[in-house]
Amino acid sequence: MEDKELIHLWKSYDQKLEETLLLNRELATDITRIKVQRFMVSMKPVKIFAIFIGLCWVAFVDMLIVRLLHSASPFFLVSAGIQVLLTKLAIGIYIYQLILVQQVDIDGPVLAVQEKLSRLKSSTLWVARLLFLQLPVWTTFYLSEAGLLQAGTLLVLIQLLVTVAFTSLAVWLFFNIRYENRDKKWFRLIFGGREWDPIIRSMELLGQVRGYKVEE
Amino acid sequence: MNPTDLFLAVLQANKGIIYKIAHSYCQEAEDRKDLVQEIIVQLWRSFNSYTGEAKYSTWIYRIALNVAISFHRKRTRRKQVSNPLSEEILQLVDTNVKDDTSEDISLLQRFIAELRELDKAVMLLYLEEKSYREIGNIMGLSETNVATKIARIKGGLKQKFSSVKK
Repeated sequence: MEDKELIHLWKSYDQKLEETLLLNRELATDITRIKVQRFMVSMKPVKIFAIFIGLCWVAFVDMLIVRLLHSASPFFLVSAGIQVLLTKLAIGIYIYQLILVQQVDIDGPVLAVQEKLSRLKSSTLWVARLLFLQLPVWTTFYLSEAGLLQAGTLLVLIQLLVTVAFTSLAVWLFFNIRYENRDKKWFRLIFGGREWDPIIRSMELLGQVRGYKVEE
Repeated sequence: MNPTDLFLAVLQANKGIIYKIAHSYCQEAEDRKDLVQEIIVQLWRSFNSYTGEAKYSTWIYRIALNVAISFHRKRTRRKQVSNPLSEEILQLVDTNVKDDTSEDISLLQRFIAELRELDKAVMLLYLEEKSYREIGNIMGLSETNVATKIARIKGGLKQKFSSVKK
């Protein structure tokens, strides 16, 4: 098939559409009004609510750290400090996403718009990485020097094993949760839910965009 | 002419673009209906900021392609904002007229639907006989890059056609 044949074929499709395609003017007007309103109402509150909850948690843990600075165990203070720091980073990423959304002009060049939107979605994966990085502190915040001294060697060993295991897992996940591993079983297990599909697809699209930018 | 009337006139003049893009990116009729609605919503939202620097068709191509490519990412949100109206904004009048090109057109549509998102966008613009400069402008690519991409995608399409025709 020659180039002209392809174009000719498309033109005949175009001509058929011209003859048979109708615009429902009334619906176009109505639907545009309805959806503009609903978009404004439904889109942002989800993220704003997530940030609000995150900020409340951070404020609560920060307050605990300040209040208990001189009385709490160093294990608690360090664990809570790490946890709150990682949560702040996760919130920062979430806000970064919101800023990106604001910056996206949907009437911009396709590649630029898709790159922004895909980055936006892909950065959600960073939130997951940071959440996993918090794993070890949940095995240490309740420890105290007095408690450790009173506990038997076996208990201390078990505690150490659990913390090392959680730390290793957290670090491993932090470095391995990335697009290249999307087909691995463990990745599919963690991100197997439908809610993660758009993020995986965004990462694939980001790969396409990068490929497109390279001159052949 | 008030903005709504002007918008509807632009929509009427370019309805084919919206339909073809929606048809290429969405195979399911229900999804396609939603995509058409989503494109029109985004066109309306951006209509006030249309500066007139680009032609209406260029502006529509950019928005419609961006919405279509992003469509899968908005699936959850789209369900939340699903329209209560069951009718379609763009409707095809069934003429039942079949000619010798119908089968080839269906094949071409199928092959285009099978392309990756960005390849699909470039190919649609090529078939619409947009110049390399205009394709580059809509996509955000250099003209030489557009030329090489088109050559590659066309090659793939021709191969598919010849394997079917054998």
